[in-house]
Amino acid sequence: MGVRSGLAAVATEPERRVAAQVGGALGAVFETVAATRAETTALLRRVAAEGRRPVSRDLAALRPGLHARLARDAIVSGAGFVATPGLLADAPAWLEWWQSGADGVVRPLLLDLDPGRSAYSDYTHWDWFALPRDTGRRAVAGPYVDYLCSAEYSLTVSEPVGVQGRFAGVAAADVYLRHFEAAVLPLLRGLPRPAHLVNAHGRVAASADAAHLAGSLTRGPDFGELLDTARPGTHDGLRLIPCRGVPLVLVVA
Amino acid sequence: MSRPETDGGARRAVFSPVDTRARVDAVVRRIGDAIELGLLADGEQLPGESELAGQLGVSTVTLREALMALRQRGLVTTRRGRGGGSFVALPDVPADDRLKDRLHDWSTEELRDLGDHWAALSGAAARLAAERTGPADLEPLRRTARELARATDAAARGRLYGRFHVELAAAAQSARLTREQVALQSEVGALPCLVLAEDAYREEVADRHRRVVAAVQDGADETAGALAERCVRESAARLVAVRLTL
Repeated sequence: MGVRSGLAAVATEPERRVAAQVGGALGAVFETVAATRAETTALLRRVAAEGRRPVSRDLAALRPGLHARLARDAIVSGAGFVATPGLLADAPAWLEWWQSGADGVVRPLLLDLDPGRSAYSDYTHWDWFALPRDTGRRAVAGPYVDYLCSAEYSLTVSEPVGVQGRFAGVAAADVYLRHFEAAVLPLLRGLPRPAHLVNAHGRVAASADAAHLAGSLTRGPDFGELLDTARPGTHDGLRLIPCRGVPLVLVVA
Repeated sequence: MSRPETDGGARRAVFSPVDTRARVDAVVRRIGDAIELGLLADGEQLPGESELAGQLGVSTVTLREALMALRQRGLVTTRRGRGGGSFVALPDVPADDRLKDRLHDWSTEELRDLGDHWAALSGAAARLAAERTGPADLEPLRRTARELARATDAAARGRLYGRFHVELAAAAQSARLTREQVALQSEVGALPCLVLAEDAYREEVADRHRRVVAAVQDGADETAGALAERCVRESAARLVAVRLTL
């Protein structure tokens, strides 16, 4: 919608470099999610080989890996596996979720998932759950206010976990937006023009442009389409460069 | 409830800072809500006094006073000796009457102030959401409005009402407003159930919620803010009306 692409829109070399490096800020997060997915898949296969359904206690085997990754990567504030309802034999729904606090202590997230008591028991409609389930691919959800787990403005990276061809849940990790901003702001500020990053809906994820602050919407261009084509474009004087390996667009005034 | 058991604590409370009264009320409400909402089960043993006081961040004097109030209300029993302690005791009266007991803890002035605070939060959230929300972000609010229109029991209606306002704060993309709203909801607890039990008012609230969503979607920030405020004020006014009958 209104995005021009082609030779006239060729991004400058520094802009391309920044667009290629933004994804690197989330590198540790992608690794955490991939490792959690691998461990969960292996665990669920082992249980299936024993000819039984998994129970919540089985997921405790994920804890050493989750704790180690939370302790190692400062940018990761929460990590775990979220089971699809009906996966476990002993619980209708389950989050094996751990968070590192400001004091560095890793704690479990304990949610009330009883629909008779909690209005927040159904987590299957959140983007971080629905996107990987529906696309079968890694997703980056947000920025959004995560009132379920952390009450922080966050990005959540998630990957689907499957066993025997069936969706079992998602492996995921949270990044608080302030930590993401700290990681990418030096890149944005290195550009000669005011720059910011938006997601597929135009929501600003980080910004070095006081006119476009995190959480606001940059309206006009169809950023989703731009990410699909993965080619730079222009819109109304803005230069739009899709980032590599992460569904964000670099917008330069 | 024997005098010697509480006398010392009560006497000390007389000479504790005045602010203690508010802390006692807060603890009574918190534990009372948890029992009301079923988070603490009938017959469940509460942690020991010093442990519980530590967890709640209050002095043992404050905690003892709160436990005394909860005993008077029949929500807690205390057994002495071996295997003794404080236990959750769900009284054998309808939930509606227990909620009215809880409402009785609030003065009309406190309820009015609660309504002001809530209206300020939800009004600001609706205005910001109208500026910052794309179509996809409104789905949670629509879902909650739909579920509220269908919910049959008062407890579920109360939970959905609260969830709508938390989701509105999240749609404003503000972690601070969302945290404030969550804290306010945990303080309010199940009180809105008292006014949402009536089908006609439930319809009215569901309709107001749908109109808030429509205004947010249209980017009509002032309309969205005014509608959200009116919705909350009306509920607070109805709670005050119920309080005045008690």
